[in-house]
Amino acid sequence: MNQKKWLFLICGVLLLAGVIGSILVLRRPRTSQVEIVQDGRVLYSFDLSSEEDQTIDVEYEGRVNRIEIRDHQIHVLEADCPDQVCVNMGWLDSAAPIVCLPNHLVIQFTEGSGSLDAVAG
Amino acid sequence: MKTRRLTELAMLTAVALIIFVIELQIPNPFPIPGVKLGLANIITVYAVYHYRPGEVMMVVFVRVFLGALFGGVMSTLIYSLAGSIFCLAGMIPLSRVIEEKYIWLSSILGAVLHNIGQITAAVLVTQTLGVFAYLPFLLVSGCLAGAFTGICAQLILKRFSGKAYH
Repeated sequence: MNQKKWLFLICGVLLLAGVIGSILVLRRPRTSQVEIVQDGRVLYSFDLSSEEDQTIDVEYEGRVNRIEIRDHQIHVLEADCPDQVCVNMGWLDSAAPIVCLPNHLVIQFTEGSGSLDAVAG
Repeated sequence: MKTRRLTELAMLTAVALIIFVIELQIPNPFPIPGVKLGLANIITVYAVYHYRPGEVMMVVFVRVFLGALFGGVMSTLIYSLAGSIFCLAGMIPLSRVIEEKYIWLSSILGAVLHNIGQITAAVLVTQTLGVFAYLPFLLVSGCLAGAFTGICAQLILKRFSGKAYH
């Protein structure tokens, strides 16, 4: 009986942590500083609010992700990878980065200067 | 190893593989890598409670490898492998502590561990800590998927319990 209580508690805490964490992650970050990272190296870094519309091709072992910036938003337009997960992730609008695992590519908001209050809030 | 035992393990692996391949055909509405039901793990939780650790590892690793081969997604093998290692490293000791009637709870813990293993592999591959931002989603999906597969395993055990299976 006691064991059951503990197990329920642990699973409940895990679920609750997941729900609260998801809500925190899904809030739109106040920074507009975005970086494109591959294998831990920052390939591009820009401020979306002042960036003009453009497309960027990022290559990895012959496979290409075509990243588009339009109306101060960023997303993956096309990808060579079979699963198309990064394309389906749509526009980058939360702390959860766009990830293309086969091509080791990550597009994420960065904590530039002036975004400290977003963390504290 | 006795032939009977080997046959049982081979059958379990085959059943898990069939479930895995069928699940691949179901379109995933969530564009997050790692969020899935993982129905093949019904077999994993069952095996954890009924077979020796080495035997469970054989069933799971052979299924994961052949699953990636059959599914044609070898690039995801490293993530499923990392997830399975984390899951088994947690579940095999836990199965000694948690009674079989709470198998669905130990299945939840296994699923969450699996997701933590997967995301750790993803962070290592991309070398970007930001990928950990997906952990909360995976915690929620792990709890739900783990509960579902665990309850399925429990139903199977109930069916078996009345018959002289072994």
